[in-house]
Amino acid sequence: MKNLLHSPALYIAIVVTAIAALLPLWLDAYLLGILTVAYYFGVFSMAWDLLFGFAGEVNFGPTFLIGLGAYTAAILDNQFGPPIFVCVLAGAVVAVLGGLLLAVPALRLSGPYFGLVTLVAVLLLQNAIVIFAHWTGGEIGMTVPDVLSIDANENYWYALVFLVVSAVLLFGLSRSAVGLILQASGQDRIEAQALGFNVTKHKIAAFCVSALFSGVAGAMLIFYMGTASVDTVIDISIGVQVIIAAVLGGRRTILGAALGSIFLILATEFLRPLGQLNTFVVSAVALAVILFFPDGLLGYVLRAGERE
Amino acid sequence: MNAPVRLRVEHLNKRYGGLVAVKDISLELRAGEIVGLIGPNGSGKSTVMKLVMGIEPSSGGTIALDGDDITRWPSHRVARAGVGIVFQHSRPLHRQTVLENIKLALLPDSLLRLFAGRDVDTRARAIADRVGLSAVLNRRPPTLPFADLRRMEMAKAIARDPKVVLVDEPFAGLTLSEVATFSDLIRGFRDEGRAVLLVDHNVKSVAALVDRVFAMYLGERIAEGTAEEVMRDPTVRRVYLGGEIVASQKRSAAGTAKPPLLEVKDVSVLYGKAQALDNVSIHVGEGEFVSIVGLNGAGKTTLFNAMSGLVPYSGTITFGGQDLSRLTAGGIARAGLVQCPEGRELFGDMSVEENLDLGGQHLTAARRHEQLDWLLEMFPILRERRTQAARTLSGGEQQMLAIARALMMDPKLLILDEPTLGLAPVILEQLGRALERLRETSPITVVLGEQNVTFALPHADRVYVLEHARIAWEGDPQRFASEMGTGYL
Amino acid sequence: MVGLQILIDGFAISSLYALGAMGFTLIFGVSGVLNLSHGGIMAIAAVIGWLAAGDLGFGVYLGTLVGVAAGLVASYVTYFIVILPIQRSKAIPRDETEIFILTGTLLWGIMIQVGLAYLFTDNPVTMRPLIDGVTYIAGVRVPKNEIMIAIICWIVIGLLWLLVNKTPAGKRLLAASINPRGLTLLGFDLSRIYFFVWGIYGVLAGVAGVLLASFLGVSSASAGQLTASAFSIVVLGGLGSVSGSLVAAYVVGYLETITAYLIAPTLRPIPALLLLVLVIYVRPQGILGRR
Repeated sequence: MKNLLHSPALYIAIVVTAIAALLPLWLDAYLLGILTVAYYFGVFSMAWDLLFGFAGEVNFGPTFLIGLGAYTAAILDNQFGPPIFVCVLAGAVVAVLGGLLLAVPALRLSGPYFGLVTLVAVLLLQNAIVIFAHWTGGEIGMTVPDVLSIDANENYWYALVFLVVSAVLLFGLSRSAVGLILQASGQDRIEAQALGFNVTKHKIAAFCVSALFSGVAGAMLIFYMGTASVDTVIDISIGVQVIIAAVLGGRRTILGAALGSIFLILATEFLRPLGQLNTFVVSAVALAVILFFPDGLLGYVLRAGERE
Repeated sequence: MNAPVRLRVEHLNKRYGGLVAVKDISLELRAGEIVGLIGPNGSGKSTVMKLVMGIEPSSGGTIALDGDDITRWPSHRVARAGVGIVFQHSRPLHRQTVLENIKLALLPDSLLRLFAGRDVDTRARAIADRVGLSAVLNRRPPTLPFADLRRMEMAKAIARDPKVVLVDEPFAGLTLSEVATFSDLIRGFRDEGRAVLLVDHNVKSVAALVDRVFAMYLGERIAEGTAEEVMRDPTVRRVYLGGEIVASQKRSAAGTAKPPLLEVKDVSVLYGKAQALDNVSIHVGEGEFVSIVGLNGAGKTTLFNAMSGLVPYSGTITFGGQDLSRLTAGGIARAGLVQCPEGRELFGDMSVEENLDLGGQHLTAARRHEQLDWLLEMFPILRERRTQAARTLSGGEQQMLAIARALMMDPKLLILDEPTLGLAPVILEQLGRALERLRETSPITVVLGEQNVTFALPHADRVYVLEHARIAWEGDPQRFASEMGTGYL
Repeated sequence: MVGLQILIDGFAISSLYALGAMGFTLIFGVSGVLNLSHGGIMAIAAVIGWLAAGDLGFGVYLGTLVGVAAGLVASYVTYFIVILPIQRSKAIPRDETEIFILTGTLLWGIMIQVGLAYLFTDNPVTMRPLIDGVTYIAGVRVPKNEIMIAIICWIVIGLLWLLVNKTPAGKRLLAASINPRGLTLLGFDLSRIYFFVWGIYGVLAGVAGVLLASFLGVSSASAGQLTASAFSIVVLGGLGSVSGSLVAAYVVGYLETITAYLIAPTLRPIPALLLLVLVIYVRPQGILGRR
């Protein structure tokens, strides 16, 4: 704790957050909108990094959890119209249940098998949404009657606050005693158990936390955009973006994942004049980073400190 | 004497499918004593340790800790009940500092405790000080020397003040002075009233440290008593040495006049941080039969892997005048230096014939047929089992197949790594006779790595002894019996 | 008669799936790589083949060959640009190589998808049939092309079987998938083996891609779906087991065809997915998997 207060990184983080909070004074609604989405994606990626970096499980279908949260909230709002936070809460609960569902095979399988389960989960959810189009709007998607706000600035601040709070919680968790146990559980199961830790229990908990944040962020994104569709919250390509952002930013740093997401979305936007090719360029850059800087951007900076 | 029994194991059994790894093992561990559980590779000693720790579930029998039945408990429960384990290979968290690694061992198994108590930090530092890590508390494992990593493993194991400490191969990879320091540490555990179980394959190395020895072979107990008693026990000597060390008929001095076919100069190998080979130099002349004798873990396999180009090394290895570091592993085998490895590395799902065929693919079709005929004559059992899948063969048959397959390559120099491992005496005789015939019918050069001295001596022109990664002795078989004989075990 | 129609159509699509899946599992078994750009390689073969046959005027047969060649080239490019650098990288810890390969090939697959759409088209491309016309089998109307495709698939599968089981080079592949170290000790450099297997894979994926374009049509957008189904089939059959993939391909192919005919075409992929989930929970090593 003492170390944290003395660390320059904390002050940098505070300054960055302050600047971010003031951006609406200078940027137009369009750019603010891009950043708003980027912040929600930041939470997606951080939740993914917690699971990967700390529990050692590679989730190839983060959009399963995100989609559960998003669609639950959307359907609830459409069918019964309770206040937004109730919908978000419901989304969180369903996402956590989904996380538990994923956790069960994860604890018995490893490597490629688990990755496949996560991919299959997404495909199943995608197909389920198409089948139950009456409730979900199918491939076209659905709109929600409520939104967080119609003001771009307000939406931006909602997203920023959410990002910062999530970052503090997730990062704090990663640096806590529980985070240390999680790291051990993910890195060396046998050793962690020989040291007296019930690895299964900790991994399930990690899944649930990851699911919670993914679900809430997914639901909130819906209430920002006012629509929910497969293309925006479930498609595999969205999941890939989440993973790439986390790897790009630096595995096991939590904060790197948020940075990676923001960078990725801003870069895609910036390259929009290239048309379809922007995805190509961003993917190519991400591939290059993976090949040459596997520790990611933030990871590279942090590792430099570790190499003494 | 009257110290309480901390760990009681009764009629412990472990079966892996059809293979019995541990058979009816019963032993007691009292507070304030160090017991050595020894046995060669495959004896089941490490399995016993894993069963006690709950890493694997037992197939039968009971394990009791201070009277409480802990049989089949998951390992985290066993750990919390008061058992600490030091694994053979260090298992640190690479991204955390030494202090954080030790603190981890002190944390409670809680989902909710976000902060470790203040006392955790103090206790962690005290433990680090005890094992000699105070100077490196803020360093990370990748930057630490090997011995410090081992110290950290010890620290983690005793962090929560366990009643029983299990240590697997405590001295592997350590220098002689480090061995002395670690022995003192372990003695310290005993003096604190803990019950210590050391698992090792080498009686000699733990003899000075242990109060009692329990010897195992092929899953069963073969001897129990003080270190001296066990070392003199005839069954134990047979298992380790293969029997009485008899000097054999002296072979005509082959290869000493010619330039060496294989020259290994000052070769060192590091596995991570562990010194697996330390400035080893040997030479083998053309047509010679050289035996390299040493216990498990002495470095024989590492030496052979360096020769075959499978591990990086420093120093030089020349074969037929050629520097082997220029060739790939496949290239070295093609150049005529062929290894029949310790694990045999057969293609289990392929037939005997297919395995042999693969060995002969570098030869012309005609030459391949010749070799095949020659080998099937030397190992008639293979002719019988020609179309069977390799993994359905017995241990001895698999060994013969592995040797035959290596010979299919028509090598100039054949390395045989522990061919007798796990084989019954009857098979050893067959193997020995096959080696005789090989020497008589071909000019091949052979390097044999063996723990079983009785098997290794009769065929050899010269003997090297490899101990703790170094060449400890060199000479001819006659002198071995007289000089090393009794001191070897 | 619907039953016979299902039997025939199912056979054709299953044979195509089999070809793609066998290549996928071969790469995994020998090289240890799960290539998530698999669908992309098939798509490249399909699009280039279509281009060659149509716009470049090579005609259907030559166009098909060009497509297969494109698949081969794409396979090698994938190996040398994405896979090998990751495997050789000293900066990536050993136990994370797999994740990096998965992510890397995923990214590469996306690049292929977008690249194809940009350079050529993202509309589904359909190759003109190799043989025009229809024929009747026991009263069921079957395009001759469909029969031709099934026959070609089986010829290729047969050749693959011959290669692996009867030729020395193929036996080495098999040995490499069982025990790579043992093979090195016998004097074979693994790098050559890998080069060989990626070549075979390129041909298999190329043929599968081009034939699929001829049968159903392939678009750059379907690259992801193709990878997903190959992956599913391979896990169902057992990762690393080529014969397992063959069996699983038929299971999946028929499940899909039956669903499409008897239930609803839109629900086509569902039963296979559900079966996959079941297998993963009950028998994760697949139908014929060993490890």
